[in-house]
Amino acid sequence: MSKPVMQLKDVKKTIGKTPIIKGLNFDIYGGEVFGFLGPNGAGKTTTIRMMVGLMEMTEGDVMIKGHSINSDFKKAIHHVGGIVENPEMYPFMSGWKNLLHYARMMPGISEDRIHEVVQLVGLEKRIKEKVGKYSLGMRQRLGIAQALLHKPSVLILDEPTNGLDPSGIREIRAYIRKLAEEEGVAVIVSSHILSEMEMMCDRIGIIKNGELISIQTVRDALEQTEEKEVSMEATPVDDTVAALKEMTGKDVNIQEGRLTFTIDREKIPTVIAGLVQKGIQIYSVNVNRSTLEDKFLDLIGEGSIE
Amino acid sequence: MSNFFKLIKNEQMKLYNQKATWIMAIILVILIIGAGVIFKVDETFTGGEAPTGDNWKEELQQQNEQLMSPDGPPDVEYPGYMNVEENQYRIENDIKPTEYNVWDFVRENRGLVALVSLFTIIVAAGITANEFRWGTIKLLLIRPISRTKILFAKYISVLIYALTMLFALFVLSFIVGSLLFGMDGFAATYVYSQAEEIKSVNIFSFTVFQYLLSFVELMMMATFAFMIAAVFRNTSLAIGLAIFLMMAGSSIVVFFMDKGWAKYILFANTDLNQFIEGTPFFSGINLGFSIAVLAVYYVLFMLLSWVFFTKRDVAGA
Ligand SMILES: Nc1ncnc2c1ncn2[C@@H]1O[C@H](COP(=O)(O)OP(=O)(O)O)[C@@H](O)[C@H]1O
Ligand SMILES: [Mg+2]
Repeated sequence: MSKPVMQLKDVKKTIGKTPIIKGLNFDIYGGEVFGFLGPNGAGKTTTIRMMVGLMEMTEGDVMIKGHSINSDFKKAIHHVGGIVENPEMYPFMSGWKNLLHYARMMPGISEDRIHEVVQLVGLEKRIKEKVGKYSLGMRQRLGIAQALLHKPSVLILDEPTNGLDPSGIREIRAYIRKLAEEEGVAVIVSSHILSEMEMMCDRIGIIKNGELISIQTVRDALEQTEEKEVSMEATPVDDTVAALKEMTGKDVNIQEGRLTFTIDREKIPTVIAGLVQKGIQIYSVNVNRSTLEDKFLDLIGEGSIE
Repeated sequence: MSNFFKLIKNEQMKLYNQKATWIMAIILVILIIGAGVIFKVDETFTGGEAPTGDNWKEELQQQNEQLMSPDGPPDVEYPGYMNVEENQYRIENDIKPTEYNVWDFVRENRGLVALVSLFTIIVAAGITANEFRWGTIKLLLIRPISRTKILFAKYISVLIYALTMLFALFVLSFIVGSLLFGMDGFAATYVYSQAEEIKSVNIFSFTVFQYLLSFVELMMMATFAFMIAAVFRNTSLAIGLAIFLMMAGSSIVVFFMDKGWAKYILFANTDLNQFIEGTPFFSGINLGFSIAVLAVYYVLFMLLSWVFFTKRDVAGA
């Protein structure tokens, strides 16, 4: 990959005497979606606040296209668009006026550009309505629209899927992928939900207690986990084992009455249908965790994932 | 510079898109019209008839004799002319009284500056603290514009609001006053006492001057509220504290009256009209002294606003 668009250099934050962020180092590149994954209270929002200059860091620096957010704020922030926590807008003004408001704060944004971003997020029909009447999903879209007005090189979205329904989440995911792939934007998305991150990110950095514990490339992880480990409870056991061996061509383990085997994820339905046809009684089927999930849960402890 | 102008446009847009702003404006309009109607209907407010006939000097002389007569409370003919020295001054300087007119109304409505102060405090407190309350501050401060510039655009917007409301008060009072009480006294002479001395002045320029002096008080209270809001990021706290001090200000001064430092209290100095008409709080202070004290407070308020707004982290709610 080319030069990083954003670099975190030993970023630390201490509030009072409590270290909240304990030295983060990572680079983010154009065209990638970087997931910032960690349980609630891990320090994602705090880190994002420092990235955009809302909070001063106790130590370290964030470089955006080579400009330091600490010493060259205006030049650095010029390349950044973002939403920090909730997409909060002025509820008493229309979506259009909200966008106009932010457009006026950056040089060279025409009305045409405002129309363009409105279209991009699909808010044309409701843009003249007061934001107070918007649903959370619409506000999220308006939030993305304001972040894109000045065509930033880095887009930072803090928990963009929070509170959205599945279709809203799918839509956001599609925008984000498109921005990264077609416009070459570096997108940073934070979340505490692994499954969402897996679906939209190229790389995932896992943060816990203010420390980055690992950075995973999602594609690799997916390739590794293409083959899933499935465990099953079914009778009669012997018939099931025979049938499974026949269909998968692989060994079947029996542990505490459960049958365990590996299989390509997409073949799972066929296999189950096959077993049913043979008159086998299936009581339960579980797909065991992927490696990334394993890693994530091992790292953060099971209780903290939703 | 052009982006500073755009920031001010933004602040104006946000201000005038809020219902509260319009409600405040409507309250002001209603009170001005209401005052006009009440003054028109009930003559005790306007001092009834004035001695404006050809022999007004004799009538005033007679009034003065009645006022000074030792037999109980006098039942005088012109309740609007109760000050013996002023009446004497009129007779000696040939200043004929006028009926209650538009300028008297405009001058009296200066009392409504307190209401304009209240509204300006609400605006000044909200203009920064509301952004924190709404959470919009996070989107406001991640633009290629310094926090200093954003803060000053907000401050200038507050001053624009204060001036607009004060101007509206003056102009509306003038319109309502001319419709209800007539324009006759446009060039009238206003007779008043200041520090035991009777003076006279053109009523129009005097009234305008008094409004401008009121603006200083208005601005100090607005700047105070603006400072509290920038420091504590809490709209209600800023509004509450500023209004409390505005109301209690003179009582505080009276309470500490005998202390040597009392004349340095902000509220002993905010009312610059005390040097123009009536008697100042303290004998030892004059216009120059008060302006110097106000300037010190002003710089302090602005400095605190700036330091806290630009240096403090924008952390979670
Ligand atoms: N202003 C603050 N003062 C003290 N502690 C804070 C402050 N803001 C956040 N924290 C603490 O920092 C940690 C990280 O919070 P945050 O960055 O919001 O986490 P996340 O976004 O990952 O859920 C939490 O333990 C939180 O309690
Ligand atoms: Mg968070």
